[in-house]
Amino acid sequence: MPGPIDYSKINIIPDPDTVEWWEGTKRHKFLVRQCKNCGHKWFPPFPACAKCTSMDLSWFETAGKGVIHSYVVVTQPILAAFVPAVPYVVGLIELDDCHEPDGSLTRVAGVMIDDEDAVAIGLPAEVVFEPTGDPNFVMPRWKICGTAQNTWKFNE
Amino acid sequence: MGALTDKYCIVGVGETAFMKASGRTPLSMACEAVKRAMDDAGLGARDIDAITSFQIADSTDVANVAQALGIRMNYGSVAYSGGSTTEALVAHAIGLIEGGYCNTVAIFRAMNGRTGRRMGGQAPGGVVPPSRAEGDAQFYMPWGFTTPAQHFAPSAMRYLHDFGATTKSFAEVATAFRYHASLNPKALMRAPITIEDHQRSRWVAKPFRLLDCCLETDVASAFIVTSRERAYDLRQPPVFIMGGSARTYADNPAWNHSRQRTYIQAGHFARQRVWGMSGIGPQDIDVLSIYDAFTYTVIIQLEAYGFCGIGEAAEFVKGGRLRIDHDLPTNLSGGHLSEGYAHGVALVNEVVRQLRHRADDACPGWAEGRHSYDRAAGCRQVREARFGACLGWGTETRGSSLILRSLSA
Repeated sequence: MPGPIDYSKINIIPDPDTVEWWEGTKRHKFLVRQCKNCGHKWFPPFPACAKCTSMDLSWFETAGKGVIHSYVVVTQPILAAFVPAVPYVVGLIELDDCHEPDGSLTRVAGVMIDDEDAVAIGLPAEVVFEPTGDPNFVMPRWKICGTAQNTWKFNE
Repeated sequence: MGALTDKYCIVGVGETAFMKASGRTPLSMACEAVKRAMDDAGLGARDIDAITSFQIADSTDVANVAQALGIRMNYGSVAYSGGSTTEALVAHAIGLIEGGYCNTVAIFRAMNGRTGRRMGGQAPGGVVPPSRAEGDAQFYMPWGFTTPAQHFAPSAMRYLHDFGATTKSFAEVATAFRYHASLNPKALMRAPITIEDHQRSRWVAKPFRLLDCCLETDVASAFIVTSRERAYDLRQPPVFIMGGSARTYADNPAWNHSRQRTYIQAGHFARQRVWGMSGIGPQDIDVLSIYDAFTYTVIIQLEAYGFCGIGEAAEFVKGGRLRIDHDLPTNLSGGHLSEGYAHGVALVNEVVRQLRHRADDACPGWAEGRHSYDRAAGCRQVREARFGACLGWGTETRGSSLILRSLSA
């Protein structure tokens, strides 16, 4: 497991476009934006629909499951909060329930719970919600939740 | 050909030393770079009537540079943006001059990129102090995903996966540019490196090692754009602007509703416009500069602008193809990886010098265009350099370009 993340060293500033998303994480919900007009889904919660320009929006609660599309192994910390965490993996995850008929999909990035050795492109991952020490913020992280054929790992 | 092809020229180039710790203000460095570009062109303060720059992290305002140098501007502006702005500001300059708003534009970038406000927000000691995650940073800072190396790494990882490539292709880029830096007295890092040196260097953000990353640098660099009519009267052989693109955008592959493959760089969407406007193609380019924030950014820009196909660049760069005296001499100054990171401006300056046939190398007669072509003696001038291209990167999602030709082309 990567070391702990010191969330006290990050000051999250929700704004009117994002405050409901952060509220969702406190209820262990991973929300994405959804267009009331055309049904399109996206993340992060930008305030308009890129498919039809509508600004009449709702939230869609994803199951928080997806497939690792790619990743980075951070070995040199830059943020003070992550100094104790290195090495850690940031996964790029394609959400299973946000693939749309026209081929659009939603990729989300997040810190994996798993070690570098366990992470591979193609593996399924699911969201877990981690307390931050601040009751106002709960942080989504991702963990591998199964196996897959044709996975790929960076071995250099 | 574009309506304005060959109507505008780059007439002066200049920069400060590339430094690890300047001990100077960005304002002082900006003044020196602009002054050197003016001197190079043979222009005085009264001949410059516009200054533009751009800023992310460290910077200085154009108004103070104009005040300090005694320039009265008819136009002055600082863009809030980063890499790939250099070439975009050339497009601005052309539009401004063509519209009659001003006559001659100095473009600069000045920053203590190592000892001042660093890209990614680090303090000089290296780590970001307790930081505000606001705006879109709410959705990357809390996941420890903030620096350019971290942001571009998943794109590179997926590239390696999809095409069965290895980081030895990155090493080809790093070693070629370091070789060029060994021929550039201005460069910060001049000691040649091998593929093995690259492969042994420490990890920063896998799949990037230390020698995949550009050099944080304290530097200012500048160049001057004016009309062809004025350019003919000046000190240096004019270098003509054939065409380009100004901050073309693409979806952010790291998030959001993207069908896009992570390694499709924004330049992919500009390619037809760029070459169509310029009237030439990638096969005509004699000297190339590519924004090498990382070795990998070179790989995918070669593909974006059609120097090879998507997924082919890892093979394309092998065998020293990017080296001087090979097929596609690229980043002849050593680039951001080895000369120093100047946010794209110095990459343009190098192509301009090459197209003038006046690369500032070890040849005693370089300033008059006399070169030995003896690499062992430190000559880095490309023979008969006629057409040049500068490809500007500002993440996968934004890119600019500039196509140039020499007076003799």
